[in-house]
Amino acid sequence: MLKHQSHKASSLRVRLMLGAVVTVLLFMLALFPALQKVFTLALEESIEQRLAADASALISAARISKGQLRMPEKLPDEEFDILAARQLGFIYDSQGVLVWRSRSSQQETINYQPKYDGHGHDFLRVKDTEGREFFVYDVEVDLLRGQSAAFSIVTMQPVSDYKSMYDSLRQQLYVWLGFALLLLLGFLWLGLGWGIRSLRTLSAELDEVENGTRASLSDEHPRELLRLTRSLNRLLESERQQSERYRHSLDDLAHSLKTPLAVLQGVGDVMATQPANSEQARTLQGQVNRMSQQVSYQLQRASLRKSGLLRYSVTLKPLVDSLVEALDKVYRDKRVTVSSDFSIDLRIPVEQAALLELLGNLLENAYRLCVSEIRIRAQVLNNYCELAVEDDGPGVPRHQRERILQRGERLDTQYPGQGIGTAVVKDIIDSYNGQLFVEESTLGGAQFRIRFPRH
Amino acid sequence: MKLLVVEDEALLRHHLCTRLSEQGHVVDAVADAEEALYRVAQYNHDLAVIDLGLPGMSGLELIGELREQGRSFPILILTARGSWQNKVEGLAAGADDYVVKPFQFEELEARLNALLRRSSGFVQSTIGAGPLLLDINRKQALLDNQLLALTAYEYRILEYLMRHHQQVVAKERLIEQLYPDDEDRDPNVIEVLVGRLRRKLSGSTGFRPIDTVRGQGYLFTEVCR
Repeated sequence: MLKHQSHKASSLRVRLMLGAVVTVLLFMLALFPALQKVFTLALEESIEQRLAADASALISAARISKGQLRMPEKLPDEEFDILAARQLGFIYDSQGVLVWRSRSSQQETINYQPKYDGHGHDFLRVKDTEGREFFVYDVEVDLLRGQSAAFSIVTMQPVSDYKSMYDSLRQQLYVWLGFALLLLLGFLWLGLGWGIRSLRTLSAELDEVENGTRASLSDEHPRELLRLTRSLNRLLESERQQSERYRHSLDDLAHSLKTPLAVLQGVGDVMATQPANSEQARTLQGQVNRMSQQVSYQLQRASLRKSGLLRYSVTLKPLVDSLVEALDKVYRDKRVTVSSDFSIDLRIPVEQAALLELLGNLLENAYRLCVSEIRIRAQVLNNYCELAVEDDGPGVPRHQRERILQRGERLDTQYPGQGIGTAVVKDIIDSYNGQLFVEESTLGGAQFRIRFPRH
Repeated sequence: MKLLVVEDEALLRHHLCTRLSEQGHVVDAVADAEEALYRVAQYNHDLAVIDLGLPGMSGLELIGELREQGRSFPILILTARGSWQNKVEGLAAGADDYVVKPFQFEELEARLNALLRRSSGFVQSTIGAGPLLLDINRKQALLDNQLLALTAYEYRILEYLMRHHQQVVAKERLIEQLYPDDEDRDPNVIEVLVGRLRRKLSGSTGFRPIDTVRGQGYLFTEVCR
C-alpha cells in the first residue's frame, strides 16, 4: 500500500521529464566544449588571416634600396601608425635584428625573436614584459620586388581583443543554449502530456467501470495500449460471466438443498404433533436446523467473493433506500422511523452484493429489535469509511458482544435459518479488511459500527 | 381464507397444503406459474405463497404479472437462497413478506396470519364488532365473553364476512372459502350455514349483524375493529 502511494507521488510524466532533462543537460554539457573549440578555432583562423593580411600590407609597402629595407613614412594601413592601436608590425632581418617597427609598437616591449629558418610562416602566441599576451604572425620573405632579400615580417595583435570577442560569443552561446533547453523541455512536457493523456483516459475509464457507469473499456486507445485494454475487457467479461454462473449455480444449489430440508422440516413438524414421536421429532428438527444453517452460511460466504480485478465501490443511498423500502413493507405494522445521516453521493468501498447483504442483515436485526427508531450514519474519515446502524431496541448485552465478533456464531434463535446474519456480516467485513464494533447507541439500543479502509 | 400456494417441489407443496388446510384455510396448490395465473383468474384468493425458484416462469415474474393484473392480495415469498438481493427483488416486485427455506411451519403461519390481518385492515389478532369478538389465532368467537360453539365452516364464513365488513359478499365467494375446487358448488349449503350462524349469534342477545342482499349476497353490517 505504501509502495503504491510512493509510486503515485512520482507520476510517469514527471519521471519521463526528469529523464529527459538529465539527458538534455548531459548532451549540452558534452556539446558545449565542442562548440567552444569550434569557435576558438574559427576565431584564431580569422585572426591569423587578419594578421597575414597586415603582413602582406607591410610587405607591399616595403622597398629595398641598396640592400637596405626602406619603409614609407606613411603606411597604407593607418592602424600601424596610431600609438593606441593594437596592431603592431615588426621587420627583422635574417639574423633576427630588428630593422623596422611600426609606430603603434613604440610603447611595446615584446621579446620576440623570429627564426629565419625557411619555414614560411608561423602563427603563435607570445607574452610581453607586462605579461600581456599577443597573437604573432611571422612570415619570411626571401624575394622582395624581384630582389632577393631575407626578412621576417611580424605582425601582432593582443589576445585581449580576441578574449572579449570570445567572451561575448560564449555568453551568446549560453543564452541561446539555455533558451533552446527551455524550449525543448517545454515541448517535451507538452508532448509527454499528450502521450500520457491516453493513460489518464484509461484510468478514468477504469474508474467508470468500478463505479458501474461503464461496462467495459472502450477501444479508443493508442495501439500500444489496445492489446492491454482488450485483455482487460476479456478478463472483466469472463469475471462477470463467471460470477453470474457462480450465482446461478449457487441459487440452484440452494434451491436443491434447502427445498428437501424444508420437506424434512415439515415431516418433523408433523411428527412433533404425535406425543410418542416427540423425541425423534426434536432430533430431526435440530439436525435439519443445523444443516440448513451451515448450508445458508456457506452459500452466503461463497457468493460474496471479492473481485480480484477491480476495486468496486457503491453509492450508499440507493442501496439503503431499496432495503428500507423492502423492510418497511415487512415490518409495516411496526411503523419504524429510519433516519439517514450521510451525504447523497457517499460511496462505500465494497461491492454491491456484499454491501446489500451486510446492510440487509444489520437493518433487519435493527427492524426486528427496535422499538420505533433506526439511524444509519456514514462518513468518510481520513483513510477509512465509517458506517453505523443504530436502533432503540434492547441492545446487545456486553457478554454477548464478543460472541458476535466470532465467526459462525448466532445470537438469536427466534427464526431458525435466519440467524446467520451477524456471522455473514462479520465475514464480509473481514474480507474487506474492515473492523466491526458492537456498542451502545445514543438511541438506547445497539450500535453496529463498521470501518472500511479506503483504497 | 382461500390461499394460493405455488411450489414446484411436490412433497413440500403437499405438506403446505395439508398444514394450511388444517389451519382452516382453503388451499389452491399448484406447481408452476402458468397454472397459478390460471387459478388466479378463476377464483378470488386472499393470499398467495409463492416460491421464488419456480421452473419456467420464475416466482419473481409471476409476482410482477399478478401485480400487473391488479391483484392486490398479499403475497408471501418462499426463498431458498435467502440473499438480500433475492428478498429485495421479491419485495420490490410486489411481495409483502418472505420466509427463507427451510422454515418451521409456525413461522410461516405467523407471517401468513399477519399478512391476512393487515390486508383486511386489522392490526390486532382479534376482530371485534359489538358484543362479538373473533380471535383469529385461536379460530374462536366470543359473544359477551362467552365462547361461541361454531363449526369450522361456520367460523370461516363469520371470519370472512367480518374481514369484509360493510361490503356485500357474494355466495360464490363464500363457497370458495369452504371448498378447494368446483365440487359441491351448492349455494344452498351457504344459505343453511349462514342461517345457523345467525341463530347462534342472535341467541340470547338478539345480535343480528348479517343481512341478506337479495340477488347479491350477504352483508356484515356492524363496524369491525
